[in-house]
Order: sequence, then C-alpha cells, then structure tokens
Amino acid sequence: MKNAAVSGRTRGSFSLSGRRATSVVALLPFVLFLAVFAVYPLYELLKLSFQETEVLDGEFFSAFNGLDNFKKIPDDPLAINSIKVTLLFSTLCVILTLVAGTAGALLVNSSRIFKSVARNVFVWPAVVAPVVVSVMWLLILDPTVGLINKILETLGREPQIWLNSKTGALISVIVVDVWHWTPVVFLFIYAGLNGINQEILEAGRVDGASESQLIRRIILPILLPTIAVIAVLRTIMSIKAFDEMYLLTKGGPEGATSLISLHIRKIFVEILDFGYASALSLCIVVILGLIVGIAYSLRRKNRSR
Amino acid sequence: MTMEKTVQKSKVNVPLELAIFIAIIVTLIPIIWIAILAFLPNKSIIGSSFDFSFWLGNFRTLADPSQKFFRQIFNSLTITFGTVFLTLVIGSGSGYSLSKLKPPKWATTPVFILASFLPIVPPITLVPGIYVTLTNLNLLGSVTGLVLVNTVFNLPFAILMIKSYFDQIPDELREAALVDGASEKRVFFSILLPLAKPGLGAVAIYVAIMAWNEFLMGLIMTTGGGAAPLTVGIASLVQDYQVTFGEMSASGFVAAIPIIILTAVASRQIVSGLTAGAVKS
Repeated sequence: MKNAAVSGRTRGSFSLSGRRATSVVALLPFVLFLAVFAVYPLYELLKLSFQETEVLDGEFFSAFNGLDNFKKIPDDPLAINSIKVTLLFSTLCVILTLVAGTAGALLVNSSRIFKSVARNVFVWPAVVAPVVVSVMWLLILDPTVGLINKILETLGREPQIWLNSKTGALISVIVVDVWHWTPVVFLFIYAGLNGINQEILEAGRVDGASESQLIRRIILPILLPTIAVIAVLRTIMSIKAFDEMYLLTKGGPEGATSLISLHIRKIFVEILDFGYASALSLCIVVILGLIVGIAYSLRRKNRSR
Repeated sequence: MTMEKTVQKSKVNVPLELAIFIAIIVTLIPIIWIAILAFLPNKSIIGSSFDFSFWLGNFRTLADPSQKFFRQIFNSLTITFGTVFLTLVIGSGSGYSLSKLKPPKWATTPVFILASFLPIVPPITLVPGIYVTLTNLNLLGSVTGLVLVNTVFNLPFAILMIKSYFDQIPDELREAALVDGASEKRVFFSILLPLAKPGLGAVAIYVAIMAWNEFLMGLIMTTGGGAAPLTVGIASLVQDYQVTFGEMSASGFVAAIPIIILTAVASRQIVSGLTAGAVKS
C-alpha cells in the first residue's frame, strides 16, 4: 500500500490532471446514484418529518407543522416499547450468534470427519431469504402443523403455543435469528482461524500448552479484532431486522417482538401518518449516525496513537 | 501444513465430532422439513401424526395460471439480473477509481460518508423518502424501480469488495501499460478489468443472493401488485388466513433450493468474497 502511494505520487507529477479527471468520472455514476436514491430520499425524509402529509389519489398534500411530529415520540408508548424490544433482541442475538459461531468455527477447525461437510452446510442458512426462513420456522413452531408439536403429540405430550405467549414469541424469534445468522459469524471466525500462523500454535504445543490453553491464551486474543468487527456487523444486522418478525409474529403478542422497523412500517403503511413515521425514522438515523461516527473517530484515534 | 500433520497424529476426538454432527442436523432440520412438506398434501400436513405420502399437487396449484407465481419468479429474476448488472457496471468503475486512480479528497469524502452510512441504517427508515422519490420518478410499483433501489443498497459493499480486488493487482502493471502508451480507458478495459474477473464473479454471486432475497422494498414499493417479487408472493401466502401450508412450503422450497445449490457449488467464491470485503472495512 505504501509503495503504491509513493509511486502514485511520483507519477502524478506528470499526468496528475488526466488521472484525476478519470478518477472523478469513474466515480460519477455512483455519486449520481447516491444523490438520487440516498441524498434525495434523506431530504424528502427531512421534509416529511416537519410536515403533516396526506395522500389523495396518489398525490401528496403537505403542510408545515413544525415539531409536532417529533413531539409525538415521547407520547407513543409503542415507540418506546419498540426501542426497548430492539435493544433486548439485538443484545441477545449478537451475544448468542457470536458464541455459537466462534464455538462452531473452533470445533470445525479441529474436526477430522465432518470438516468439509460442516464447512459447507454451516453457511447455508445465511443464504436463504429471510422470508423463506420465516416460512421454515413457521412450519416448525406453528401450533397445528409445526414439527415440534407433532413430535410432542407423538410422544403423548401437550402441544405448546410458542408464538402466542410474550416470552415464547421473543425466544422464538431469537432462536430463528441465531439459526439464520450464526453462519456469518462462523464464516469470519473460520477464515480468521485459518489465517493464524501455525508456527505460533506449534510453539505453544512444544511448550506444553493444552488445546484449551491454546484457544484461551493464543487463538482468541489473535481473533479479537475479527470478533470486534463481526460484533459491530451483527449489531447493525439485528437492529435492521424486519422480515422474520413481520411474518412470524407481526410484532406481537402485545408488542413483545415489535422491533423498531416493524413499528415504523405500521405507522407508515397502516396508520398512514407519514410525518410521524418520518420523524421517528429520522431520529433512528441520527442516533445510529452519531454512534457510528463516534465509534469511527475513536478507532481513528486509537490507530494514530 | 504443520497443522495437518499434528491433526493426523492425534486420534479422532469422538465428543467433538458428535457435537459437530448434532450441529449439522440442527442446521439442516428446517431445510429438510420444508422440503418434505413441499411434497405433501395439505391433509397430511395438518394431521397430527406423521404421514408421508409423496404428492406434486402443491406445485401444480402454484403453476396454475390464476396464481401469480410464475410472474413473481420472472420479476425476481429480472430484479436479480438487473441489480447484478448495474452493480457490476457502476461498482467496477468506482472500485477501480478508488483503488488505483487516487481521486481527490473532495470527491471521495462525501462518497465514503454516504456509502458507510447507507448500510448501517435500517432500510425502513429510508422507506418514506424512497417512496416519495419513486413516486416522483413515476417508478413506484415497477420492476425498474426495484432494480434501482436494490442497486443502491448493494453498491457500497460491492464497491468495497471490488476495490479490495483491484488493490491486490500490482500498480506496476497499470504503470507499465501507461508508459507503453495505452490510454486510461484501454488499461482499464483490456488489462485490469479482466484480471479482476474472479473478484467480480464473487461480487455478482453475493449481490444476486441479496437481490433475490430482498423483501421489504419489494413489499412496500409494489404493495403486492404486478411487479411484486417472489419473496412478497411467499409472504402473502403466509398471511392468507386459509390454510395453504403445502403451497407455502412449495414456494419457499422453490425460492431457497437454487440459492442453496449455488452456495454449495460456489462456496469458495462466496466465502472469499464475503470475508475479503468485510474484514477490510
């Protein structure tokens, strides 16, 4: 990288302008795309959130209403609830997938019989559409046709109504999320494990370290930066979660699985309060932007030190 | 290599292999179960005991012209190919520019900020704005609109991946060609782009999976109309209050199996693509 920068600069002395122009032209389509489908929608979002908007025959009628939309947020217990649910859901999902994925990668890495099969199969859930994942788990959790209840009935036990109790529904969607996204963690950790210099491990073994000592003292510390990256990635993913809850529980029962995305969709599509939906969206965007901005500047500070 | 040798010396660890075997089964159960139900008549699905009688009726019902199934598959395929094509065209230019052309800071900084911001926010928060944008462009409820929206959401990550592939190609190659008198355009199209082909392939597979699986934008921007993708069609089967578990399983099976087969066949590219792009970010 350093070499490239240096050679680029020396070359630059005689053809800088031409390459600069090309570099900007090559970026232009992306910039245009971002302008139309990211900047403009954000501008519309900003506008909508300060307006009272009605739709009649596909036409928007808006009137400025100041901060009215934002004032609705503290008075909306469902919004507060959905933020709480999102935090709880995200925390549990991130921790559980990190533990399961790391354990899986460590196991597969020292496996002899199932290594190649497991390496392949453990990736599959992550490529299945969230909608199909929901269908798969509905066919397992459903009170009448679900696999679990069929097994319970065959064994002569009482069938359960998983998705209809508050705790049961939350546990169910977390299980679904863990099944769906542990593969992503597995992939990264497994790739990280294979990148570890084997001589370090060999040296540890020669010095008489047991396998569990190797994992705790050498492997996990080396993997820590990778684990941190995935933790961030998984946090973002779980805050964005929508499809599975939308199909499995519709946010219910009594809002127990109503993530923030589901709540915003409801306001936007069912209640048709565009202004409030936009104001709430804008708040989430700003909060996430701040968190990521702070994390990014902290990382830069750490690096420059 | 040393790892291989030490592993061969040690004996098979039975509890470890057993744990992996159980994990494989747990991973596979939901996939196998939907595959079984896809070929069962509704009455044996609903029955409380296990009754397995092979039946193709679910697929026959879906294939009925009164169903939108084929239309939705066609929509999904169009969205997928359109998104992959646009993402690769725009992404290869931008990825190349960022990797090899050192664009000026005033051009890259806003791009970086937006491109790192876009994948972070929940898509639903951008829905009101995108909804208005598509309405203004007269693209609401169209396949074209969905191609554009999918492209926007996939571009940041795709560009990052493509940039990292171009980073692996030595700069000397580009410089030598320029010294020999090739134009910037020629250098890109005849030398560097062909070298990045395997990387572009990995990006294409990744973006194809993302576009094929996309649901939220399809749901809200088409409201289940003629442009609805397959995922939206499957969701509408879930929400019907008639019991159509068989058709639900069959359509889910059709949506999932090609992707799983693609993954099994191209797992190396997918894995390298996924990990290369994100670890560097």
